[in-house]
Amino acid sequence: MPHRRLEMNDESIDRILGGEEELIPSSGFVASVMDRIRDEAAAPLPIPFPWKRAVPGLVLGCAGLGWGVVELARHAIAAGQAAQTVTINLPTSLLQSRETLGWVALALGVSLVSWWLARRMSGAGAS
Amino acid sequence: MPSTTAKTAMDDLADVERVLAGDARAFEGIVRRWQGPLVNMAWRYCRDRARAEEMAQEAFVRVWRGLAQWRRASSFSTWLFAVAANVFRNELKRVPTANLPIALDEIAEPAGPALQHESLQRKSQHDVIRRAVLALPTRYREPVILFYFHEMDVGAAARSLGLPEGTVKARLSRARELLRRRFPQLAEEHAAMESGKEA
Repeated sequence: MPHRRLEMNDESIDRILGGEEELIPSSGFVASVMDRIRDEAAAPLPIPFPWKRAVPGLVLGCAGLGWGVVELARHAIAAGQAAQTVTINLPTSLLQSRETLGWVALALGVSLVSWWLARRMSGAGAS
Repeated sequence: MPSTTAKTAMDDLADVERVLAGDARAFEGIVRRWQGPLVNMAWRYCRDRARAEEMAQEAFVRVWRGLAQWRRASSFSTWLFAVAANVFRNELKRVPTANLPIALDEIAEPAGPALQHESLQRKSQHDVIRRAVLALPTRYREPVILFYFHEMDVGAAARSLGLPEGTVKARLSRARELLRRRFPQLAEEHAAMESGKEA
């Protein structure tokens, strides 16, 4: 019967694991523990963290950090809005001076010549 | 006249009070009363005598350091075993026990023909099975160690582990199942013993 078999095995395990011989600590065990305890007792107490002194500094540091984050965010938002409103007014800027207009005319002329030469070389203009 | 357990509890309380009042020597009473249980408990965790004493010593030092944190709601021994279990678990996590199988399957079957003397053979088999407990997965290993250390008291094992009794029972059952599967000869041995008794 499987149930009986299971019970038998549990009994065996209990008997083996429960029936272990007692270990007797070595004779110097208490002395060595007490040596360590004496060392611990003689050691100076750990210096507690100076919260009273540190708190104002921590508060100031946190406030500075918060202010920095707010300022950064404010500048980022302003820069974003400015980027959206920039418009490029090309004709106005071009008419600002005759010199600029000359350069534009030269660039257009060079472009025209390039276009004409390209057509000639490719044979399109010959037809 | 108070029983031995009650007297031990009273002595523990008196020593704790003296230590907390600044008398470090009073801790010796606690060490003398509990050295045996703590070394034996550590032994069950590592199966190495020298290391068991080292671990027990470390447990006593932790108890000393945390004495003020003992809430009197539980007995001193309950708190002591819980602290010790925590220390032993962490120590073995930090430095695993050497020369132990890392998996249950790696444990050799107890030898038969090589050992002629029956009692020697049985002792060897039992030792193999006891060592096999250390190869159980951690969640099953500790309930087994503490259950048998506390003389099969589920409540005491549960308190040392800080787990509900139901969880400890379930893990014990699973641990036994794993051991049974690994050592099927346990049933045969038991049957042989029973037949011997009947004869």
